[in-house]
Amino acid sequence: MFQLTAMDIQNTQSQMRKGVLEFCILSIINRGEVYPSDIIDQMKAANLHILEGTLYPLLTRLKNAGLLNYRWVESVSGPPRKYFVMTDAGKEAFSVLLQTWNDMANAVSLLTQPQTPNTEA
Amino acid sequence: MKKVININFQGRILPIEEESYETLKQYIESLRQYFDAEEGRDEIINDIECRIAELCDDRLKKGAVCITEDDMRLIIESIGRPADFEAQDGFEATTSASASNGNQQQFSANDENPKRLYRDEQNKVIGGVCAGIANYLKLDPLLVRVLWILLFGISFFAYVLLWIAVPNTSAHQIGGARKRLFRDIDAKVIGGVCAGLSKYFEIRVRYIRLLFLVPSILLVLNWNHFHLFQFWEFDDFPNFIELTFSPSAVFVYIVLWLVLPEAKTTADKLEMRGEKVDINSIKNTIQTDMEGFGKRAQSWGSNMYNKTKSDDSQTATTASNTAPEPAQRGGCLHFAGRTMTILFKAFVYFVLGIITISILAALFGVGIATTGLLPLRRFILEDGAHNWYAYAIIVFFIWVPVIGIVTAIIRKIAGIKKANVWVRGGFWSLWALSWVFIPLFFATLTKSFSKQNEPQEEVYKLANAKVNYLEVSAQQKLKYYNHTWLKLEPFNFFDSDTVYVRNLRVRIVKAASDSFEVKYVRISNGKTVAEAERLASKINFDLNQQDSSLFLDKGIAINKTDKFRNQHVIMTLAVPVGKRFKITNKAWEQVRVSVDKRGLRSQTGPNIDFPFDGDNSDWYNDAEAFDYDYDVEYIMTPTGLERVKGQPSDDNNEDPEQLKSRLEELKRESEKIENDLKKTWEQKQKEADEIKKQLDKKGDTIKRNSTKNEVAVSDTVKAIAFGFDAIKLLISRFQS
Repeated sequence: MFQLTAMDIQNTQSQMRKGVLEFCILSIINRGEVYPSDIIDQMKAANLHILEGTLYPLLTRLKNAGLLNYRWVESVSGPPRKYFVMTDAGKEAFSVLLQTWNDMANAVSLLTQPQTPNTEA
Repeated sequence: MKKVININFQGRILPIEEESYETLKQYIESLRQYFDAEEGRDEIINDIECRIAELCDDRLKKGAVCITEDDMRLIIESIGRPADFEAQDGFEATTSASASNGNQQQFSANDENPKRLYRDEQNKVIGGVCAGIANYLKLDPLLVRVLWILLFGISFFAYVLLWIAVPNTSAHQIGGARKRLFRDIDAKVIGGVCAGLSKYFEIRVRYIRLLFLVPSILLVLNWNHFHLFQFWEFDDFPNFIELTFSPSAVFVYIVLWLVLPEAKTTADKLEMRGEKVDINSIKNTIQTDMEGFGKRAQSWGSNMYNKTKSDDSQTATTASNTAPEPAQRGGCLHFAGRTMTILFKAFVYFVLGIITISILAALFGVGIATTGLLPLRRFILEDGAHNWYAYAIIVFFIWVPVIGIVTAIIRKIAGIKKANVWVRGGFWSLWALSWVFIPLFFATLTKSFSKQNEPQEEVYKLANAKVNYLEVSAQQKLKYYNHTWLKLEPFNFFDSDTVYVRNLRVRIVKAASDSFEVKYVRISNGKTVAEAERLASKINFDLNQQDSSLFLDKGIAINKTDKFRNQHVIMTLAVPVGKRFKITNKAWEQVRVSVDKRGLRSQTGPNIDFPFDGDNSDWYNDAEAFDYDYDVEYIMTPTGLERVKGQPSDDNNEDPEQLKSRLEELKRESEKIENDLKKTWEQKQKEADEIKKQLDKKGDTIKRNSTKNEVAVSDTVKAIAFGFDAIKLLISRFQS
């Protein structure tokens, strides 16, 4: 029984992160033009771990969906590198997602707080 | 010491150890596999490659001389392997959605619920049913399998049901652990169908080929309906077996050829074998690809031999058909498909099972038959060396291969894959040893038969030689005939000390006087002439006349001390002109095994063998003797034997007049045909000449040709005319 519950918890955690990860990446790119490995670093700084192997497909998918675009930037050494930027559609989608997130965060923080009997009073 | 190579990777020149280069290649291949269903697969791979190149470059800038195995491992870990992507929160490619479910199922099947019946795919021989039952009952799978084989027939259908109904324990791994049927173009002979089937069923390709080849050979031999089940007299057995043993197998082959896709890419090849497509298996495949013939044979068994050229460029073009079945297509359709596959598989295994059992039965039959000959040994062989040679041949030549093959089949069933070299070598060398004994045996045997006695004609005085009709038949000394399935001609056992040899011949000649005469000679072989004489004189040949019947002994008695040295009797019956006789063939009830259009079958009925051995062709250079058939009444005439009218006759003696007229008719027809041919020939020739003249007016050469043609035409006409003359001459001769 215990193991099954642990599995369920894992599954829920994974679902939560899955929902939020895309939004996090969009937030990072929204701050400005960025190189994928910088995204990893910034995520790591925020204590969110992601493998590059999962990041690249995600970026490609978002790009194909029209939310992102990329630009080749000459590098000091070696060939040019791909930097990702938001498109207008991306910005729009981001604002919708941000709104949703704020609502969600509110709702969750409200619900996770210990219940106080008379909030209106 | 490691070899370092320089690669141009995404615009960067990287010195890299050869081994880590291999690792890199395998890693990228695994990614390609993983993102196969992804729309932007190539772009993703490209991005990742760029990143890897960048990371490598970083390492070199930090002072590394080259990219080592460790560096590569770290880089790959930071990017993540396909297996890690799944563990990573979320973001799997769509391909792995079903895979993770499969994984969970596997865990619960193996660890959590041991008391559920599963088919054990890991330890399977056919479908894993026996292994699953063994698991469930906590028995040794071998035990269950042996029981299953003992109950082959009933258990077969139960097996198929369980195969379909019971879920398996195998997991659907990344990219499809599910096997798919491909045509294996690397190991192909015609279209690769057999090779592909062999991969799918994990049966050696030669057996599948045999399954397809046998019908084709049978087709040639016109044995197109070989009833396998005639052996057991299952007359009403479903005819689907016939499908396998008839020309339709060729049809099946062609259909499969058209329907099955080729296994082009590495991924296809992996799916064909049903390997999990993950880094390790890809590593294996690529390694084996690189390492050529010998090592591949080790890692894949004898299956995949000629894949040396499949290189990266080929693997890069992974076909889209490797995409695993979308989840929504599952359910009912999937189940139906699975059932179909299993039924097909079951059918194939069933046929193979039948063949195996037949082979076993046949082998035992041969062994028993030769051992059955042993009691006769004492009637033929002398004591000492001769005897030992016979024993050696029976043991080494017959039983050693029988036991060897049976052992091999049992080992195969028991799932022992590793061949024991010593056992196999032992069987082979013992068998080879038998080849030493065979010539020795036959040499000594021939020697014992080398001399013959001087035949002396003896006269039997008939009690009533003046009869008009004499019927010759054999007296049956044996009261019962052994009704055994195995009949060892020409010997019949009488008791343990005596055998009867049906070694009598009857010769018919014309008598000089007006009475029947009977003479006979007793002949025997032996090591020396003296011995042959002695044996011949011991032949006890009884004759007995009762009115118009003449009874002969049915055989010559041979005992153990005297041995069989081809003792035989030739009886000459002199028939006076104008008198009738008949050689009867009293039927013996016996089992005959025959092969006819309906297959191999046994039937009980009268035998057609005359109790006197030998056929009439013995007399072909005997000017005095006449040909005759058994059970036919003949009359002796001044010119020879003639059938008494009303008797069945073999040759259709038609009226000579009728024959003549028919011949003439044929001649006329042939004349007509030749005339027509001549006319068309001339006409064509003329046409050809005209066309040539029209086409080429310069042509001296053509003119020459045409004159040649004219000459040719006149020659042909002459030839045909000559032919007519010849035919006329023939007809006139025939008439005269």
